[in-house]
Amino acid sequence: MRLTINGVPRDVPAGDHETLLAVIRERLQLTGTKEGCARGECGACTVLIDGRAAYSCLTLAAGCADSAVTTIEGLGRADALHPLQQAFIEQDALQCGFCTPGQLLAAAALIARTPRPSEDDVRVALSGNLCRCGTYPKLVRAVMQAAEMMRAEP
Amino acid sequence: MTTAVGQSVSRKDGIGKATGATKYADDLHFPGMLFGRTIRSTIPCGRVKSIRMDFDTSGFTIVDYRDIPHRNVVALIDEDQPYLVETEVRHMAEAIVLLAHEDREKLLGANVVIEYEEAEPVFDPERSPHSFKDITIEKGDVEDALASAEIVVEGTYRTGHQEHVYIETNGVIAVPEHGGIALYGSLQCPFYAYKALRSVLGNDHPLRVIQTETGGGFGGKEEYPSMIAGHAALLAVKSGRPVKIIYDRVEDMVATTKRHPSIVRHRTGLTREGRLVAMDVDVILDGGAYSTLSAVVLSRGCIHAAGPYRCDNVKIFGRAMFTNTPPNGAFRGFGAPQTEFAMEVHMERIAEQLGMDSLTLREMNALRPGDMTATSQVLKQDASALECLQEAVRRTDYRRKREELKGTNRGIGLALFYHGAGFTGAGEQRLASKARLDLTATGARIMVASTEIGQGTRTMHAQIVSDALGVPYETIEVAQPDTSVVADSGPTVASRTCMVVGKILERCALEMKERLEGMTPAQYHAKHGAFSIVKEHIQPEWMRWDDDNYQGDAYATYAWGCDVAEVEIDRDTYEVRPVKVTAVQEFGRPIHPALAMGQIEGGTVQGLGYALLEHVVMKNGAMANPTLTNYTIPTTLDTPELDIVMLENHYDGGPFGAKGLGELPMDGPAPAVVNAIRHLGLDLRDIPAIPETLIACASL
Amino acid sequence: MERFQYTRARTIPEAIGIGAQATTAQQGAPVRFLAGGTTLVDLMKLNVEHPTRLVDINHLALNAIEHMPDGGLRIGALVRNAALAHDATVMKDYRVLSEALLSGASAQLRNVATTGGNLLQRTRCMYFRNTAMACNKREPGSGCSAIAGDNRSLAILGTSPQCIATNPSDMNVALAALDATVQVQGSKGERTIPFRDFHLLPGDTPHRETVLEPGDLVTHVTLAAPRAGATSRYLKLRDRASYEFALASAAVIVEVSGGRFGNVSIAMGGIGTKPWRMTAAEQALAGAPVDEATIVRAAKLALADAKPQSENGFKVELAQRCLAHALRLATGMAAS
Repeated sequence: MRLTINGVPRDVPAGDHETLLAVIRERLQLTGTKEGCARGECGACTVLIDGRAAYSCLTLAAGCADSAVTTIEGLGRADALHPLQQAFIEQDALQCGFCTPGQLLAAAALIARTPRPSEDDVRVALSGNLCRCGTYPKLVRAVMQAAEMMRAEP
Repeated sequence: MTTAVGQSVSRKDGIGKATGATKYADDLHFPGMLFGRTIRSTIPCGRVKSIRMDFDTSGFTIVDYRDIPHRNVVALIDEDQPYLVETEVRHMAEAIVLLAHEDREKLLGANVVIEYEEAEPVFDPERSPHSFKDITIEKGDVEDALASAEIVVEGTYRTGHQEHVYIETNGVIAVPEHGGIALYGSLQCPFYAYKALRSVLGNDHPLRVIQTETGGGFGGKEEYPSMIAGHAALLAVKSGRPVKIIYDRVEDMVATTKRHPSIVRHRTGLTREGRLVAMDVDVILDGGAYSTLSAVVLSRGCIHAAGPYRCDNVKIFGRAMFTNTPPNGAFRGFGAPQTEFAMEVHMERIAEQLGMDSLTLREMNALRPGDMTATSQVLKQDASALECLQEAVRRTDYRRKREELKGTNRGIGLALFYHGAGFTGAGEQRLASKARLDLTATGARIMVASTEIGQGTRTMHAQIVSDALGVPYETIEVAQPDTSVVADSGPTVASRTCMVVGKILERCALEMKERLEGMTPAQYHAKHGAFSIVKEHIQPEWMRWDDDNYQGDAYATYAWGCDVAEVEIDRDTYEVRPVKVTAVQEFGRPIHPALAMGQIEGGTVQGLGYALLEHVVMKNGAMANPTLTNYTIPTTLDTPELDIVMLENHYDGGPFGAKGLGELPMDGPAPAVVNAIRHLGLDLRDIPAIPETLIACASL
Repeated sequence: MERFQYTRARTIPEAIGIGAQATTAQQGAPVRFLAGGTTLVDLMKLNVEHPTRLVDINHLALNAIEHMPDGGLRIGALVRNAALAHDATVMKDYRVLSEALLSGASAQLRNVATTGGNLLQRTRCMYFRNTAMACNKREPGSGCSAIAGDNRSLAILGTSPQCIATNPSDMNVALAALDATVQVQGSKGERTIPFRDFHLLPGDTPHRETVLEPGDLVTHVTLAAPRAGATSRYLKLRDRASYEFALASAAVIVEVSGGRFGNVSIAMGGIGTKPWRMTAAEQALAGAPVDEATIVRAAKLALADAKPQSENGFKVELAQRCLAHALRLATGMAAS
């Protein structure tokens, strides 16, 4: 099947029964997207499908053939961090790091639609991403900071 | 002068985690790798009668207890837990057979039929005939003091299981290497897994354990990884191929350890003015089916059971009981959250019965420097119960709010607590942890087994070494823990990684600095080449501990805290929401204020979940709600405003004055929240405070 | 996951044609329509559903929210929950629906889940979802593990000795109160099904959850014109503040004039085997004075037939309190 991941069209020899998460992680070795529950109950596998946050563990890859999928690897790189990644580091909004890619993509989807979010908007947007380290207050601060950075330099 | 310590420098693992580049266990792949699966018991108690492989076994590696080359026992404290059931089944989800295959679907499709002879299980710890461990702490004469006390207040308090819910489930990969095994895994204690592998595989195999980046631990990856490591290693030895075992969420919740449920009974004698004269405390922990760490969880629970209060006559009797349920184990706080919950709710009830203000009661009885704890430890100047209490009261305007909120839908409550840092008693001496520091061409490399599990080990250790050595933070590298190369700095548990291991590293760095004779690492390295410094923990010479009688200096120091919770109740619907938590905590000194803040915020959020949401439902000896929909942990929307205050009171035995912090924040939120609910008029003594519990105590 | 043939349907007749080849459209159907997939893919991974054909209907033209000449609203089956909840008309005229949708799941799920899919959302009963346990809904005749199991979150209304599973949807509760209708196209043409007739009680056939037959495709959900002067609210009670199913929820649409209740519509969730319309309570309220006594009496009446399970007795009182409070919110007797 043909999938467009992080802007790059790829032909992937995946079966129709494979989830987007399995294809991303196992066929494309893009392991930044995590599996925490495999049931849409934790948010660790969040990616963007056509700009909207979705759980890749409950999405069939076959259904994404005409869609643009963004994973954490497509958000930014070590030498070119996305403002959200920058803000997460500056605000220390990550601990064990396992939920972090999902949090970042959920936040990216929010800011894309709501460039000037309130703290409550951020809390709602991230409430489908569990963080057991309990970094929630810092996550909110980081997303608010990133939104501001992004408004300053669009 | 410090330049790194005390600053929130950027964490060593920040960029890797923020870009998704960091590799966790399930992100690793080895050529020829098989996937492993654990076949588990489906009864809580009985014997295995027969096992039949009801599938085409070609391409499968199958392991049962007969394949174990050395000892079928998970090496920990008491050696009672097998890696694989031989005949006796003691709990649901106990491992019986291991399978491996290269095709995960075939693996999951394999049907193993096990016939059992069932026996009558024991689920109620109070009716269990068997205790893993009894502990008695006795000071003065409690019965005498109770008999002559002006007032006696009694009460029973219960806490439930708590599941760790690290977002990364347990996972390891065993890789055959040089005739032995290299074990990669998500774990807190590489040398625990190493010792466990030695016991199951014997001494013939070369072994090493490498910690992979770990997606949360909270105690849940202290002892359990020894089990899964052994399983993967057995499959790898038999198949000769790398074997990866990653638990799915349900398996992780059903089969692995949880926080011990507790029942704590208090009988407390006081003078009419409110001075504590006698404390009789009975602690029961539900240990589950094997002893694992229950004895030491009980120990810490009992030592903290009298709370941060002075009293001349104390008797604490604790038991960790056998039940036919999966073993309970380490979880942030390690027994103290249970017993301090009971103590702090009991203090509120005492105040009610005395007709006095609970704040005054706490102030009157709080431990001060020079006072003696329940184990007769004389506290030094680094005891800050009163300071924490007073700051929390001042900051929240507690007295005024407590009055003002009466009769409204908002309640405010408080908890005073403390937490001993490091292993109990002579534990650190026995452990004799080592740390190593290597000089490199550009700086130094830290070589310890202490693991980064999100709390910031790498960053905080590098800050300590940076300042002690007098070189920039950026020039300090931190090796990934690999038992074949790093020093055994002991397990990453017990709030010891900063205070104990950090201190040894500080001493390594100071000695290295002397050896450099004024040169920079680069200059020295260019001239003389690399060298290493290895140091061992030195127990403070004043510490005395009598393990038979549980008397003496239980911990080198304690961290202290006072949490104030404000909650709002909807009296129409019984919805209780935390509105604000103020956490005032003293842990010596923060090495990295942002990381320390993260520990306090995170522990507080876990404590709020423990108090209000997290409910493990046990049916026939197994968790009946093992999903993240049915066992709910807090989300962003369940997290109230957190006001964190870090008080300083340097501890001379810690690096740059620091104590341990990791567990302290877990001790306070549950009693503070329940006391706030109490302020609303609900006589709540059990957690979690889910709607049915609240309805029950409101209709009393 | 078991293998299946994946087909992307280009037209509604094509989808219906494939669907009609199946012997059933209920539990275990060999052909399934794939929309958001948040329920279906989950159940396929759990091996609770194992269709041999999957018809991806996401590209059918069923994703519009249309204003009808009679003032009503026609919602395409593929309109995503997030889009529906944030639609300006829905937020203004059908507040109860918007609130219900936003109280459910998480942003990620609402982005993907569809109106039609949510209508057909399956129970979250843990025994239904676990193939190692007996469940009459999953395997007729195998027994019900929930009755003696962990049934805290399960139903107290509409249960049978065969099944006590709760309908988990928040949206459905709002649609029940709104007297929505469901448009279905099938091999025999189009038909319109009143919402109250769409879901079935478990009775002796808990594996049959709706009136849908093979080949039936839900195309639209239609709402009548909003009642002038009515106020509507959705109140959901649960353990945590988001991302969780209801222990009890209430959708209320209330008309008040001269201090008395006019027409009142009430549906409740989290407590019934299907979205539960509270007709006795509605009748008790109509014409009665808007006061605390009336509300409490109606709430008690609503739950008069409740049959608690071993572990959810608290839900009777919780549901009464939920309904009473929703009525207070809708009448302005309490502030939200």
